[in-house]
Amino acid sequence: MRAGRPRRSRQERLAYLILLPALGTVFVIVTIPFILAVVQSITAEDGSLVGLRNYARALGNPLLYDALRATGLYALIVLPSEVLLGLAFALFVHRTVRRPALRATLYVLAILPLVVPPVAVGVVARLIYAPGYGVLNVILMSLGITHQEIQWLGRPVLAMLSVASVDIWQWTPFVYLVLFAGLQTVPHESVEAAQVDGANWWTQFRHIELYYLRPLFLLIFFFRVADVLRVFDHIFILTGGGPGTTTQLLSLYMYRTEFKFFDMGQAAALAVVVLISISVVYSLITRALPLERA
Amino acid sequence: MKKRLTRRDFVIQAAITGVSFSSLPAVLAACGQGTATPSSSKPSKLVIAAVQGNEDGPLKKVAPAYKDQTGITIEIVEFPYDQLFEKLVTTFQANGSSYDLCMMDDPWMPKFGTLGALQPLDSFGFTRDSDIPAVVYDVGTWPPPHGPVPPSEQGKSQHLYGITIVGNVEMFMYRSDKSGAPKTWDEVLSNAAKYNAASFYGYVIRGKATNPVSSDSLPILWSFGGNIFDDNWKVQLDSSDSITAVDFLTRKLKKYAEPGPENTDAADRSRLMAIGQAYQSTVWPGEITGIVQDPTVSQVIGKVAYIPMPQGPSGKGLGMMGNWLLGIPKGSKNGAAAADFIKWMLKTDNMRNYVAQGGIPIRKSILNDASLTSANPYFPALAQSFDAVPNWRPRTDQWNAVETVYGTQMNKAVAGLATPKDAMTAAADQIRTLMKNAGYPS
Repeated sequence: MRAGRPRRSRQERLAYLILLPALGTVFVIVTIPFILAVVQSITAEDGSLVGLRNYARALGNPLLYDALRATGLYALIVLPSEVLLGLAFALFVHRTVRRPALRATLYVLAILPLVVPPVAVGVVARLIYAPGYGVLNVILMSLGITHQEIQWLGRPVLAMLSVASVDIWQWTPFVYLVLFAGLQTVPHESVEAAQVDGANWWTQFRHIELYYLRPLFLLIFFFRVADVLRVFDHIFILTGGGPGTTTQLLSLYMYRTEFKFFDMGQAAALAVVVLISISVVYSLITRALPLERA
Repeated sequence: MKKRLTRRDFVIQAAITGVSFSSLPAVLAACGQGTATPSSSKPSKLVIAAVQGNEDGPLKKVAPAYKDQTGITIEIVEFPYDQLFEKLVTTFQANGSSYDLCMMDDPWMPKFGTLGALQPLDSFGFTRDSDIPAVVYDVGTWPPPHGPVPPSEQGKSQHLYGITIVGNVEMFMYRSDKSGAPKTWDEVLSNAAKYNAASFYGYVIRGKATNPVSSDSLPILWSFGGNIFDDNWKVQLDSSDSITAVDFLTRKLKKYAEPGPENTDAADRSRLMAIGQAYQSTVWPGEITGIVQDPTVSQVIGKVAYIPMPQGPSGKGLGMMGNWLLGIPKGSKNGAAAADFIKWMLKTDNMRNYVAQGGIPIRKSILNDASLTSANPYFPALAQSFDAVPNWRPRTDQWNAVETVYGTQMNKAVAGLATPKDAMTAAADQIRTLMKNAGYPS
């Protein structure tokens, strides 16, 4: 037998051929801009090379750390909330709703928040939380729960909770849909056997269903973290990043660096740092966690 | 043996691809090149990049008349405020020929002037018209004819690059059915205290972060003798006059302001006036025509008067320019035809028609025409504001960044998250660093 690279089978070559259009598209719309971003991150506005100076400026800017703190806090609020609510709803529907028509209706209802443009969600949320005419304050005051307006968007903690609540409303259905689909893959035999053995709902979840859902949690985590890094529209509309910089998340900070400060070198450096950091984190997580089913 | 694609590998690839997409907005701006070749033939259409809202509404209404008279279609491509600026900058950087004309907020002129993005209008035969305030021409001229000039622009010859089509100057409004006009900011404060009541706010602060609170506070800053820069680009925000002005707005006036001023924008403010829940505030003409004087939404028509900015301790009452100009991008192939359209807009008869459609004029003869005052009660105040020569925002290509820093710190002060002194000290420090990095005297 000849040493060296083994010859690809005809089937493998066909597989690569079929993948070529998709990979080509990814190369054009992702790789080329990424390379341009790297180039931009090491050049000045006049095109001269400045080495890592843009990276030093980006990492030395205290506003970056404000934005990172805000993004971290936002993620700490929305990710657990969405996962817990989505999981609870998925388990509830999986175990109690048997009629296909009702399940289909819930499916459609869950899809709706996902297809609403984030800008529209932001505008509606502003009608709910805005000072003066916000629906939430009107309801709370008419019920006698409060006698003066609560400044949902004007106090740092409330502003963060308000913008996070919009995210939770829009993206909990995504978690529900993914986990509900995962629950459909749990073998009935295993569940029935556990029930015969006297397993309660928690034991059934802990020892059977969770096993099948674990890879999906990682999928959800990856997608949602990526979304949190991109979240922009509804925060821009609701608070503009305020009060102060309390809700200025990383994406809004990068937007302002690029399109308000027109500091393209620093913005590109930030984009590269974020991309590499998150890729490393994702890679470490996938290697550290035993996610494959046996 | 070759490793097959596992679920884990798939998840990693999917995640990395997804995150890669998140970097696209920051990197796509690097793409694109193009050049334009001037065309001598009459075009069938002119494309205008315009701001969506009250500012371009009247333009859309008069544009068909231009086609009737010349056969040239005016196509108006609208963008929200922020997106228009970004779109124009990226188009100019690529020398794109997508637009024959563009609407520009006057603080954008330094950026576009520095970029060399526009065709000089003087080359198309524009000369100053005595019926149009000189400041209107000044604001469209680059480098600026007065005030500090950016270091990179010093020594360059001045040219006219934009002509105002929306004569915005920030003014002051108050409930004239309750009191006379305040002459000073001290009177504004005493009236705010006097008329403040349950569900009726003595003063409305437009305090939302960045541009809104910046626009709302600068006239007060100037009237108190404060400023962002002096004539040598030295930052003045941490001067005692500036801090006193910020203290006046964020502590003294705030006592009588609406709930949540740190989240109030122009539409919220005008709404409060229109539904009769506020006594006074600063105001832009667009808010007057669009909300406060709109009979379909306003409950206070005939009860609100408009005046130039009250005077501060400096003895001056300085309004702020917010003109919207029309300019011709360098990449346009139809410069001469675009210039003809601007000239057509400036003709007195056409401007009267523009006013009839809700437009904000710049001709003194129209602003002072008594027959138009009942339908446009702010015209006399606007004419007076032009006569008093309103301030413009600092003429630097760094203005957007400066405004973001200043507007963020002002928002903190309005929200009570920082004292006026701390907020202005932080803003001054950040702006000094910013300007130093941009090559300005530190």
